[in-house]
Amino acid sequence: MHYRPTSLLAKAIFLIAVMLAGAGSWAQLQAKGGAATSAVVTTPHVRAELIAHAPQGVEPGQPLWLGLQITHQPEWHTYWKNPGDSGLPIEMAWTLPAGLDAGEIAWPLPKKIPIGTLANYGYEGTVLLPVPVTVASTFAPKALSNDATVRLHATWLVCRKECIPEEGDFTLTIPARSTTAMHGAAFDAALAAQPRPVMGSVQGVRPDSNARIEGNTLQLSVQGLPVELRGKTLELFPETPEVIENAAAWTQAWKGAVWTAEVPLSAQRSNSPDPMPVVLAADGQGYRAELKVLGAWPTVAAAATVSPALEAALKANAAGVPASTSSAPPLTLLAALLGALLGGLILNLMPCVFPVLAIKVVGFAQHAQDRRAHRLSGIAYTSGVVLSFVALGALMLGLRAAGEAIGWGFQLQSPAVVAGLAALFTLIALNLAGVFEFGHFLPSSVASLQARHPVADSFLTGVLAVAVASPCTAPFMGASLGLTATLPGPQALAVFAALGLGLALPYLAAAFVPAVARALPRPGAWMDTLRKFMAFPMLATVVWLVWVLGQQSGIDGAGALLILLVALGMVAWALSLAGSARRFMAPVSILALALMAWIFAPHVTNVAAAPSAQASTGNATQQWQAWTPGAAEQLVASGRPVFVDFTAAWCVTCQYNKKTTLADAGVQADFTAKNVALLRADWTRRDPAITAALAQLGRSGVPVYVLHAPGKAPVVFSEILGEAELRAAVAAL
Amino acid sequence: MLLRRTLFALPLLLAAAGAQAAATVGQPAPEITLKDTTGKTVRLSDFKGKHVVLEWTNPGCPFVRKHYDSGNMPATQKDAAGKDVVWLAVNSTEKASGDYLEPAKLTSWLKQRQSVPTAILMDEEGTAGRAYGARTTPHMYIVNPQGQLIYAGGIDSIASAKVDDIPRATNYVKTGLAEALAGKPLTASTTRPYGCSIKYKDPA
Repeated sequence: MHYRPTSLLAKAIFLIAVMLAGAGSWAQLQAKGGAATSAVVTTPHVRAELIAHAPQGVEPGQPLWLGLQITHQPEWHTYWKNPGDSGLPIEMAWTLPAGLDAGEIAWPLPKKIPIGTLANYGYEGTVLLPVPVTVASTFAPKALSNDATVRLHATWLVCRKECIPEEGDFTLTIPARSTTAMHGAAFDAALAAQPRPVMGSVQGVRPDSNARIEGNTLQLSVQGLPVELRGKTLELFPETPEVIENAAAWTQAWKGAVWTAEVPLSAQRSNSPDPMPVVLAADGQGYRAELKVLGAWPTVAAAATVSPALEAALKANAAGVPASTSSAPPLTLLAALLGALLGGLILNLMPCVFPVLAIKVVGFAQHAQDRRAHRLSGIAYTSGVVLSFVALGALMLGLRAAGEAIGWGFQLQSPAVVAGLAALFTLIALNLAGVFEFGHFLPSSVASLQARHPVADSFLTGVLAVAVASPCTAPFMGASLGLTATLPGPQALAVFAALGLGLALPYLAAAFVPAVARALPRPGAWMDTLRKFMAFPMLATVVWLVWVLGQQSGIDGAGALLILLVALGMVAWALSLAGSARRFMAPVSILALALMAWIFAPHVTNVAAAPSAQASTGNATQQWQAWTPGAAEQLVASGRPVFVDFTAAWCVTCQYNKKTTLADAGVQADFTAKNVALLRADWTRRDPAITAALAQLGRSGVPVYVLHAPGKAPVVFSEILGEAELRAAVAAL
Repeated sequence: MLLRRTLFALPLLLAAAGAQAAATVGQPAPEITLKDTTGKTVRLSDFKGKHVVLEWTNPGCPFVRKHYDSGNMPATQKDAAGKDVVWLAVNSTEKASGDYLEPAKLTSWLKQRQSVPTAILMDEEGTAGRAYGARTTPHMYIVNPQGQLIYAGGIDSIASAKVDDIPRATNYVKTGLAEALAGKPLTASTTRPYGCSIKYKDPA
């Protein structure tokens, strides 16, 4: 056979050329770029690969997707954009050719990964995180190779139980003029796993879908979810971290086409998104909604700290600075108990207790001869008082534990409570004056039943006394009450009990010491006169309550309360009538009361707009500014001394000091001479910032008076503000 | 005459909420009673009258190691000690976790990094951590001398595992203590804590 070497050589050369060409294009198809990095990074816990999807190549205006595909080892996971209670989401830093611009990661629907009492949101198994890339007209592929090289530096946290921060550098070369669609299926799946916007919305915002803040929970209401979801249990993924308690139990319910849920807010929430984007999911498909936030995010109580100098001043004040007229005992528990006892005794003299003292005296006169009944009454009254104080203390401690900013005297901060007390005292005054008798109200059996239990009667008198006395804080009570805020439960309750004992002591002493009881007058006609006379202190208390309400609800509220009291009085009188007069008047008067209540009650409870600074009347030179947190510190820092007056409309001691010491010409002259800034913190409406500031000073009631001076220790004054004391302190500036 | 008092005996029946709310900034800080690494019982109330920093830590966590190996946490602790602030390091890792360190080992790990907190508290049952809602390591809290919680959140402002981010970040504990000791309200009182999740014991 005759060989033709040329053809063989040609074949060989051809074969080699084909192989080389194949190898060349194979190398291109491999997309292995620079010498050092590749598109794949493998760690002991994940395999991460940078992949691309460019069905029309890399051309301006054509879709281009890049993505990081992460395959996790079993039991390991990475995190979503909101990682949950711990962890960090993946971060991507791109280096792209000019004209290419990478957008945000299009996060597929995550999984909720609970760990004990905590929860995270993330991915296990294999996940592809796609990133859309816009190709501008300024893009030009590399001249010879007609491709584009993209680089990615990604950092992620991969965890099982332990966590490992990892990072990788990826390089990928994408041909510009040909299709790159090898991973098309993976990208399609990843894009299908995107949460869809809820229906009928513009970019997921539906005006009717909202998140309403109620206390410490978030009430979600989402509309526009597909029909097939109705009735199903949905998963919730908030896109913003640090808002809700991720691991806490929450409830959901379908209300027709609207999905609602109640989700607890995090106790240490540090984000306040508005709108709040969330993803709801069922059967592996997510729906994204942007919820309009209704209500205000709960503000963190401004925990302004007490500077060490003020702290020392408070300690000095409590220990009894010699210049001070009040010698409050040091704050040991025993001293606090003694102080509370004394405080209770003094409380008997306070104007808000005196009317009830009046009732007590009347009751006394009735039992003047019966010594055993006396003693029983005394003990019953004391137990009523002590138990009421303990109960109030327990309520205060309980509410404090539940997070409410409450201070002593909180009862009189609510207009409804003030109105109720005014109504009650009006009725009592009318009864004392003889307009009606309670015996007429009740069937005689009930009325006489109660008469048979003077013990119960005394007990309840004690309760009444406490209810009225609580807003007045006497000098010795200030420190004790402040201490209870920081004492453990049982000790705090003991201090409250000592307070009650002090209040009841005079009555108790009279009940046991015959001499005192014997000194009481015998029953007689004078009793009726005394009883009618007692109606007037009672009415005076009503006047004071109406004035307090006026401070809270304005003159309209006070007027509305007065008309309601008149109507109430008429009802009480009508019910005391007999026979046909009663049959006629009673329904008429009750109707009138109902009508008045319907018209005027809203005015009573309508709290007027925030009070402006209470400029003291009759003196144009005194400029009291409203206190705000930090204002005192700022003024002192600017070199001015500051006098802060913590006061409230219903605090009688405060009003007394305001009208006497603070209105004194000499004191005002001293203030002006030393350029003292005057700040008034009005606590009538239960302002939480002021409650917090009072707690900082170790007090839970008003009044509190503090004089700050630059370069000096602050001075805290006693509750009955002494003129000499104040002037001496100002002179020392 | 008797009924008027009956009328007023509207029950001051109080459903005093006994349950303690989760630790919240602005509210009293929950009491802690734990044994430290020497076996002595330490209470948060022992330090009333001083500022206290609580640090939840776990040497097994890369984020804790970021702040210790770089010297950032020990420096913050020294800064606090210089201001007469108490520093309590708490470890709520359960005994069954791979990250658990015996008290002696924990003490020596910290000592090697020049970290000397006032006390190192062992919270294997997780009671203190749960009372404070501690989720990550590190997770930082500051309590004021009156016993109120004034800060809860992260050690600094950049959530990452990179040591290079420390100089660029705001150290919330350092600035918080400076503001608190000057008597000013904190500008950042609740921030995002970042790190590994605390390896709590499963509640029974």
